[in-house]
Formats: sequence, structure tokens, C-alpha cells
Amino acid sequence: MIPQATVKRNEASLRRTEREGFNQMNIKARVTGALLATVLSTTAFNGAFAADDTIKVGILHSLSGTMAISETTLKDAMLMLIDEQNKKGGLLGKKLEAVVVDPASDWPLFAEKARELVSVDKVSAVFGCWTSVSRKSVLPVFEELNSILFYPVQYEGEESQRNVFYTGAAPNQQAVPAVDYLMENESVERWVLAGTDYVYPRTTNKILEAYLISKGVKPEDIMINYTPFGHSDWQTIVSDIKKFGSAGKKTAVVSTINGDANVPFYKELANQGVKAEDIPVVAFSVGEEELAGLDTSPLVGHLAAWNYFQSVDTPTNAEFIKTWKAYTKNDKRVTNDPMEAHYIGFNMWLKAVEKAGTTDTDAVLDAMIGVSVPNLSGGYSTMMPNHHITKPVLIGEIQSDGQFETVWETPGLVVGDEWSDYLPDSKDLIADWRAPMSCGNFNVATGKCGGKGS
Amino acid sequence: MITSFLLKSLDRSIVVVVAILLGLAIAIPALNLLTAPDHPLHVPTFLVSLFGKYLTYALLALALDLVWGFCGILSLGHAAFFALGGYAMGMYLMRQIGVRGSYGNPLLPDFMVFLNWKELPWFWQGFDMFWFAALMVVLVPGLLAFVFGWFAFRSRVNGVYLSIITQAMTYALLLAFFRNDMGFGGNNGLTDFKDILGFNIQADGTRAALFAASALTLALCLVLTTAIVRSKYGKVLVAVRDAESRTRFLGYRVEHIKLFAFTVSAMMAGIAGALYVPQVGIINPGEFEPGNSIEVVIWTAVGGRGTLIGPIVGAILVNGGKSIFTAAFPEFWLFALGGLFVFVTLFLPKGVVGTASAYLARRKAHRRAADAENARDNLVAEPMAAE
Amino acid sequence: MYRILQTLLITLCLLVSAHVTGLRAADDLGALVSALGTAKLAELDDRIAALAKSGDPRVIPVLEALGEGNLYARKADGGVFLTTEMGASLVLVDPLDGAQLGEVPKGELQKIKVNNAVRRAVRSALGGLTLFSADAGARLKAAQSMRQTPSADALEAIETALAAEKDVTVRKTLDEARAVTLLVSDRSDDDKRAAIKLLAEGGGREALGALSSALSSADASLKPDIEAALQRIEQAQAFWNAGQNVWYGLSLGSVLLLAAIGLAITFGVMGIINMAHGEMVMLGAYTTFLVQDVIRGSYPALFDWSLAIALPLAFLVTGVIGLAIERSVIRFLYGRPLETLLATWGISLILQQSVRSIFGPTNREVGNPSWMAGAFELGGLTITWNRLWIIVFALAVFAALLFLLKRTSMGLRMRAVTQNRRMASSMGIRTPWVDALTFALGSGIAGMAGVALSQIDNVSPNLGQGYIIDSFMVVVFGGVGNLWGTLVGAFSLGILNKFLEPYAGAVLGKILVLVLIILFIQKKPRGLFALKGRAVEA
Repeated sequence: MIPQATVKRNEASLRRTEREGFNQMNIKARVTGALLATVLSTTAFNGAFAADDTIKVGILHSLSGTMAISETTLKDAMLMLIDEQNKKGGLLGKKLEAVVVDPASDWPLFAEKARELVSVDKVSAVFGCWTSVSRKSVLPVFEELNSILFYPVQYEGEESQRNVFYTGAAPNQQAVPAVDYLMENESVERWVLAGTDYVYPRTTNKILEAYLISKGVKPEDIMINYTPFGHSDWQTIVSDIKKFGSAGKKTAVVSTINGDANVPFYKELANQGVKAEDIPVVAFSVGEEELAGLDTSPLVGHLAAWNYFQSVDTPTNAEFIKTWKAYTKNDKRVTNDPMEAHYIGFNMWLKAVEKAGTTDTDAVLDAMIGVSVPNLSGGYSTMMPNHHITKPVLIGEIQSDGQFETVWETPGLVVGDEWSDYLPDSKDLIADWRAPMSCGNFNVATGKCGGKGS
Repeated sequence: MITSFLLKSLDRSIVVVVAILLGLAIAIPALNLLTAPDHPLHVPTFLVSLFGKYLTYALLALALDLVWGFCGILSLGHAAFFALGGYAMGMYLMRQIGVRGSYGNPLLPDFMVFLNWKELPWFWQGFDMFWFAALMVVLVPGLLAFVFGWFAFRSRVNGVYLSIITQAMTYALLLAFFRNDMGFGGNNGLTDFKDILGFNIQADGTRAALFAASALTLALCLVLTTAIVRSKYGKVLVAVRDAESRTRFLGYRVEHIKLFAFTVSAMMAGIAGALYVPQVGIINPGEFEPGNSIEVVIWTAVGGRGTLIGPIVGAILVNGGKSIFTAAFPEFWLFALGGLFVFVTLFLPKGVVGTASAYLARRKAHRRAADAENARDNLVAEPMAAE
Repeated sequence: MYRILQTLLITLCLLVSAHVTGLRAADDLGALVSALGTAKLAELDDRIAALAKSGDPRVIPVLEALGEGNLYARKADGGVFLTTEMGASLVLVDPLDGAQLGEVPKGELQKIKVNNAVRRAVRSALGGLTLFSADAGARLKAAQSMRQTPSADALEAIETALAAEKDVTVRKTLDEARAVTLLVSDRSDDDKRAAIKLLAEGGGREALGALSSALSSADASLKPDIEAALQRIEQAQAFWNAGQNVWYGLSLGSVLLLAAIGLAITFGVMGIINMAHGEMVMLGAYTTFLVQDVIRGSYPALFDWSLAIALPLAFLVTGVIGLAIERSVIRFLYGRPLETLLATWGISLILQQSVRSIFGPTNREVGNPSWMAGAFELGGLTITWNRLWIIVFALAVFAALLFLLKRTSMGLRMRAVTQNRRMASSMGIRTPWVDALTFALGSGIAGMAGVALSQIDNVSPNLGQGYIIDSFMVVVFGGVGNLWGTLVGAFSLGILNKFLEPYAGAVLGKILVLVLIILFIQKKPRGLFALKGRAVEA
């Protein structure tokens, strides 16, 4: 190999060839491996492949099917992070090796691939999943095989599992502060909770409804609406929103509409003339990536709540964006919140492995709690005993260039609350994975581990 | 009766496949459980579940072959029956979780607890008993197929019209099961199962047993479909496929014949789904997706339509390929898969098994012809020698 | 905010005396504008009010720029400038005299942050400032903004403006603005009653909103009047709602028609179960994206023409791809319709993954040309331009296709070949070429549909998947092989869907439609307009 310092000019191309070579090797090895595994279905190749010269990291994101639209970016982000780390000398003196598989937006396939990553490829940790159902599908696998999953997407909460680290936002790190903001700064009195009909919007809306009613909002001032996945004809719903908003009270829409359906929704909003000054829409699933498919000038002022925006003005973020654009060789590529979650999760894992001195699951699980790494918005995020992390909450308004501008942020960091205080069945539950409690659903009322414990 | 049937009309290839399946049902669990992990012949648990999944797919494809291959009904909704059977099994498995759920509610599954359901909906009653769930696994898909078929065949809906409305059926079910208000867990479906019939579902022994059960069921269904196809009824079935009007004019009640095949096939698909769910650990509305049903058709076509063995081979080939390629070429596997479908339709219209058996038959004919020639030569030669 | 409007009268006086005190005002104004640069978000309201108070028309562009986010402060000295973007740098313009001050890299400037509250303040400040503008459009906007955010202090200004207003539309809006404002003022009950009457007659959602918010604070004596007015408006609204549903149904129907019409050729006429149809639609949408991308990069002035340019291109691109598919795969499969299903499914996977590899898996931005953006009111209906154009386009495509098939010799050949291949061949028609061209035509039309659908949906590799099932339903419901069936099928399914949606919700509505289709096929096993005669059994 040519020493890197001497070919500074060609660093980019060198990196490319290095990566390609690496991938080719990898593919070849994996073809043989998989063929052996499936065709011969026997042999002790496991031993042969668990070579000790690299530490393997699994990447479990859909590269085809409906979720590829969101998840492919995360695969690229992970490859970049691993690449960067290898340039810094790897981990525990070994190189990191990425193992990429495609679960193809097929939920049972997620479980199968997770099992393959852990038991055949012997990866030390897996970064992956986007939808709640994919996470639910792989949970038993990680539990059974005792491995580690980092889950980077905002989700509905109501879960804390020993083998999973939740680096995305829980509802209290996104939804509740956003509603607070609208109540205080925009004096909103009437609420439309619009979402795609699946578990994340359902739970979030349940929490928000209970929260709003506890704040004195009347039930008739809350309208809840669910639509199917990929809903593309929003005419009726947007006009219902306009109707609901013409009752003489300031109205806002809280949108938990999922990825694909957002573009036609916003297009319809823009065309029917719903302006942010009149009926603001605050979204929890719309980030820079989704806006990249839209002309945002009619949408200026609509809001989103996240824990990170690409527009955040910090040196670490600027560096991250620069590396990302260089890595993807596309200066229009945007960054988004789940990418930051992987950034945090990956760095936490590195630190925990260094602390534990091994990639052994139990040791890393213990070492993870309390690990603190810089996030991209200028602070530090810490892994809490409930396997959720601390994050700042940012509220941003859409700008005409497809970016968000932060208009409000929490003064400090917010701890992810896995069991919501606003749902009757979960308000007594807490999670704490430190010994001696080591429980994901400890009931403080009965003093027992295991839910409501009847 | 069955023995006499077995002796008389099972042709050799079916016997071979059944024997292989029975062998697998013993060998794979044995190699998994009885050998040490570093033994060269050890089968890891991961592969046991994977192969088990392929076998349930194979059963689904076999079910489709009964209606498509032998009756000419191209159902683009067979995955719906598969998923319904899966849901019935999933509901049983959910009820087995009991207080081990996150909220520790003894009666309600987790997803009902956090959506504030107060009591168990009526259609969840009884699923705590295995026999009831097992009954529902065949009854629900069977009933749906019966009602659907009753209307469709009586109105003489056929050809693409039938295909498209079966697709509408599975699509409507997909949307319905996505709704959280339906009480089937919405998009998340049913997951995080703990045990089945008292055995831990994650234990190696249970997985091996499930694999054996899948192989045995597949073998049994293969024998059953062969019996159906080779029976007198089976001949009428093929007649319906090849000349529906003529069969009707001969006095057969075509709609009854079709309805029987369709219902039996749906029940088989339901059983396949029920075996599938405990092995993959999740059932979710995605299984209803119209694309899945089309894939089943493709497995059947790749293997060879109307051959009974073909669908089994096709399902295992395509899914095995999918497993390898999604790991080896995550970015490009769809090209391979798409290319395979085009290749098979263009160059192997009878499917792998159909083409292979045609080739074998031709070779046999050749050899027979050659033998006959030799024999004639010998006949000619003999007198010469005698002289 | 009321302070802004309080200044309206002063504004008038100031306008008169502005030139007298011009020099001093410029200094003050300069200071006021600079003050924007140092303000925190919460303070901006007051600074905007102060600017509006000056009443100087030169403030208008400053406020507009602020609202649009084009107002920047220089990091070095805090000077505030209007800007226009020029690549990586900004062109500075003096906020008061409009002089160009040259280009500066973005890093040297700090954008003055605004949020919705600030934009609202800007809007009402501009409303006050432009109520007397010479431009009728600006006055209309001002009147609308006053109607939206009524403030008792603005009443006299509105009345002054009303007295001088000649333009009918502006007058009407001003009248309504006056009525709305009157309701929140302390005028006599009789005046208010007249205002309520006027609002009730005008109808519309804004009146509804104004009246229902007045209801809570009104005197007991006025309440019955308001309630009666509310009821009247709601009745009128209910009538319009039915109309609105028909419109939405037509619009959804036109989308279905566009999606299905190509399939009506490849599936309906040729009998190919073309699962790659959706991908042709997707390729058409990507063609639009490429065209717009080139236009954005090189000829921004042509943007409004982008769709017109994309249409023939999309037709050509998808037509040629369709031709290639027919020649390489489908021609071997005639007479085996179910096998076309498998092959085209494989092709659709390949096309999807190719697009994913080339363009990436994420959504691509396709913009609305200006003539397709926004909406207009027709009575109580809100009609969006893009939906209107899509309906027109769908019908135009349908008419053109019908003409092609029924009135040209090419169409005659196509029909002949698909109805009786051997006979057509004996008549000397080159059937292979007619097959290829027919398939290319169906694909090309799907591509054109993609251009239209790119205006309302995601442009992503999954675009086609969303339409394929619906398209098959439409063609089968309408009757395979009959273009009119496709037309009627698309619109009736669209309208049915939209009438069910308000009662059953979007999901249940769709399920009901599917169940109805299944039942309908039982009744009419060959669709709405079944082909009769010999072609049926073939």
C-alpha cells in the first residue's frame, strides 16, 4: 500500500479504491460464506470466518422496497462512520468491518437477517431498523442470541429492552415539547392530530391527547385523523383541516404522517393555501431528506420537531456535513436526525468497547450506561440506565431552501422517557438496566419487575 | 385404502420427494441437536429455522399449484389465506405470553394495553386453547375461500377477472389488518412470542420440532394433493382447466369442482401460514401484500406449474437465492431476481422441474428407440450367426 | 399588534408630510431598520411596529424582505441589507434607497431570523401600509389580511379606504373586512347586526370563523342573530361540501384514469398482464425531474414550460423502453397471458432497482410551474389549479387515444391485430410491428401520465407500485378492452371513494370500494362495458 501521507492529493481516489477493494473482498467472502451456509448447510466455516483481525459491525437497513427511501441513507452514514474510524486506527487495535445486508422492507426478513448477522457473521453490534415493526421483529432475536442493536429513529416509546439502545427520540423528546411550543408561542387552542395508521402515531397521539386535556384543552377542540400508508389523495383531509380551523380559534396540525405520504400532503397544503401563519403544521417524521423531494417555498414556516437539524451551527456539525458530502461525492446530500442518532450511537459504542476492553456483549452492555459523547448540536448526549439517551429538543421552521431554521430549543437536555407518564398503564413503570434492578418494566407501585404485575 | 393408493398410483418421483422430506425431517433436527457446534456436519439453528421457513413457502406454492396448475384458477390472493392461517396461530401464541408481556396484563396483549383496550374483543376468545386455534387455522381461510369461491365461480368469473378480484381481496384485507381499530395489532402485527404448547419457542429443540413438523406436513400435503389429482375428481379438475365449457356441457357442476379445489388449497395455505409464524416469530399485515401473492405464483412457475414437485423446488430455489443474494449483493439482488423471472418465462416455460422431466422423458424415448434398434439389429444378426 | 394598526391614521398624515421631513426621517428610518439586525426573535414584533409607525412607503420592501427571509445583518458592523442570492454569495441592496452595494460571501452576513409570529406581524404591518397602495392587487392583499386578523383600531382606516375604493373585488373584501372588524369593535348593536347580516350573505369559511369567535364575546341580545347567521352559512357550506366531494372525486378519478389509461392499451387491448406498467409511469415522472433539473441549471426562464417539454420526451423515453421490452421479451409470450405477468413482474423489479441505483432511493424534487400552483374559489368550492389541469390533461389524453384507435389507419390495424391476429396477418398487416407499436404506445401514454402524476405525488422508485393495483381495478371494473369503460370506471371509482371517505374515513372507504368492486364483478363478470361478440372468448 502507498503511504497515505505521500499522496495527499489523491486521498479521495485512494479512499475510493480502498473501499471498493474492501467491498469486493467482502462480497466474495460473503458469497462463499452464504453459499456454504445454504447449499452445504453444514461445516465449521463459522470458526473459519470469525477471524480475529477485524471487529465486525452489522448494518441492517432496507436497501430495497418501500423503506429504502429512508434507510439507504443510514446505511451510507454507517459506512462513512466506520470508514472514518478505521482511518483513526480502528478499535482496540483492530480494523472495523461493516457487514451490510438487505432486509428488503420485509419484516420477517429483518428477523432472519438479524439472526444471520449475529450467528453467522458474528458481528459485535448491529446498527439498524427504521420502522417500529422491524424493531419488534428483531427484538426476540437479539434477546435470544444476546447481541446489541442500536435503533436510531424516533419511536413511540413503551419499550426498553436489555439488548437495544434507543438513540432516537422518545415521545417526550419530540412531541410534547413541540406541543408546548405551539401553545406558548402561537397560542394554539384547537388541535388536529393527523397521522398514518400505525403504532407510532397512535401512541404519540394518545399521549398528546392526554397531555392536551391535562392542559385544559376541550375534547371537542381535538380532531384525530388516521390515513393508510402511502396515502396520496389528501384533498378531503386538507379541506377538513381548513374547516376545523375556521372555528374562530387558533388551530395547529400535529402531523405524525409517515415518510412517503408527506410529499403529497404538503403539496396539497400548499395548493389549497394553508399558510403556516394561519394553520401551522408541526411534523415529527419530516426531515431534510423528505423535504429534498419538495419545492418548499410555499411551506415556509411549517414546523418540525427533532433533536438535530442540518442547519445547526456548530463546528462538529460543520465537520460532519463536510465529511458526509465528501464521502457521498454529492454536495447536495443532506443530513438528518436519524443520521445524528447513528453518529451518537456509534461513538457511544466505540467508547463503551474501549472502556470494557472487549466487544463481549455483557461487558459492553454494562459499560454503555453512563457513556457520554458529543452530539452534533454542540452538547453531550449520555446513555441513561433505561437505554435511552439525553438530547436537546429543537423546533425548526421550514425554509425555502429545504432546510430548517431553529426557532426554539429546550434550555437543557431532555432524558428519553420510555414509559410515558400520560398513559394510564405505563405511568408507574420505569426501566433501569443497572444491577441489581436490571429490569425494563419495573413497577414502582408494586415494587416488582414485570409490568403491572397482577 | 391409502396404502393401496400409495402402492398403485404414486409415481416414482413423488415417492422420492416424500422420502427426501421424511429424511430431512429426521436428519436436520438430529444434526442440529445431536452434534457439537464445531462438528463438520453440524447444522446451526439459524439454518434450521431458515429451511423450515422455505418448507412452509413450499407448502404454500403446492397449495397454489393445486388450483393454478390443475384447475386453471390463477389466484393472485393466495398469500391472504397464508396470512390468515398465520394470524390464527399468532393469536394463539399471543395469548400464551400471558403476564410476561411488558405490562404484565394476564389477558390483553401489549398492543391492546397501550391503546387502552379494556377487554378482549370477541374474536380473540378461545385462542388460548391450541385445538381451537388449530381449528381456526384451517377454518378461517377455508371459509373465506368457500364464500369467495361460491360467489365468484357461480357467477362464472374467470381468467384475469378472477385473478384481479383475488388481488382486490388480499389488498382489502391488507388495508383492514393495517387498521389498529381492527384489533390485530395494526402494522406491528403480532410478535415477541414466548412459547408454543408449553415449549420455549426460542429453544433449539422447539425449532427442530417445528422444522420436522413443517417437513412432515409438506410430505402429507404432497401425498394428499397427489391423491386428489390422480383421483377421478382430479381428471375432471384437469378437464375444467383445459375446456371449461365442454366439461360443463358434459354435465359436470364446474363451480362445485372449482370450489372444492379452491377451498382445500386455501386450507393448505392456512396451515402453511400457521407453521410459518412460530418459525419467523412475527405475523404482520405485510404478508397480505399483493406482491407476495404474485411471488408465490412466480415460485410455482419457476419450479414448474402442474407438476406438484415443481412448486416445492421453485419455492426453495427462489427463496434460497433471495437469502444468498440479499446478503451477498445487497444492492443488486433485485436485478438477479428480476432477471431470473424473465429468464424462466422465456427459456424454461415449463419451469425447472417441467423442463427437466421433459428432457428426461425425451432421453428415455431416445434410449428406448435406440434399444429397439439394437434389438432389431440383434434380431437381424442372430439368424446370421446361426447360419 | 394593535399598535401597528393604531398608526394607520398617523400613516396617512405622515404620507403627506413625509417629503417635508424626508431627511430627518431617513436618519430615523435607518436607525429603525438597523435595529432589526440586533433584535431577538421576541423583540422583533415591537421593532416591526415601530417601522410600520413611520408610515414611510420605503419600509414596504424592507418588511417584505424580512418576511421572506431575505433581510441580513452584516456581522462586522451590524448593518442591515436586503439581499438576493447569487450562487455562494449574496448581492447586497441598501434597504432604503435600493442602491446595489455589491456581492459579499454568505459567511460575512447573518440572516435575521423570523418565525410565524414575526411573519404574521409583517403581514399585518404590510396590510396597514398597503391599504392605500396604487396597485389593486396589493390593496386586495391588504384587505384580505385585515379580514383575517381583525382589530378594532383599524376600523376607521378601513372605512376611509372603502370610501375611496373603486375596484369591485377589493371593495367586496373590504366590506367583509369592515364587518369582521366591526364585530370586535364597540360600535352599536344595530351596526353589528348589519355586519352579521352581510357576513351571513357572503358566507364562506372566514365568515364562519369570525362569527363563531364573536359568538363567545358578544352581547346576549346579539347571540340569536349570530347563531342564525352561523346556521345559514353552515347550510350553504353543506351544499357546497357535496359539490366539493364531487370535485375531489373527479380529480381522484382523473388520476386513476391517467394511471390506468396506458394499461387499458397494454392489458385491455393486448391482453398482456403488464406488471411493469407502474414503472413506466415512474420513468415518465423521472423524465420530468431530469427536464426540470436541466432547466433549473441552465435555462431558469423556461421553468414554466418544463412540463410541456417533458411530455413528448416522457412519451418518447417510455415508448422506446416499451418497444425494447416488447421486442426482447413480450413478443415470445403472445397467447400466454399469465406468463407475461411473471416476465413483466421481473422487468418491473429490474426497472425499479435501476432507477434506485441511478437516481438514489430518495424522493426527487419536481416543482409546480406557476400556472399549476395555488387555487381559486368558485362559489364555495376551492379548486386547485394542478388538479384542474390534471383533469383537463387526462381527458385530452383520453380523447387523443380514442381518436388514434378509432379514426386512423394505425388504430384500425391495432384493433384488427388484437382482435384476430391470423386474419389480420392474412390481410397483409405486419402483425409483429403493430404489436410492438401498440405496446410502445401504451407505455408512452403511461410515461405521459407520469409527467402529470409527478405534480401531485412523490417522485421516487416506489411511485409506480402505488398505482399498479388501482390501475388494474379500474381497467377490470370498466371492462377489459373498452376505453370508455376505463373512463367511466375511473371516474365512478374516484367519486365513490370521495363520497365514502368523509363517513368511513380514508382507510375504510378504500376497503369498501374494493369490496364493492368484488361484488360488482360477481354481478357483471366482464366489467361495466363488456365486449360483446367473438372477441370475448378469444
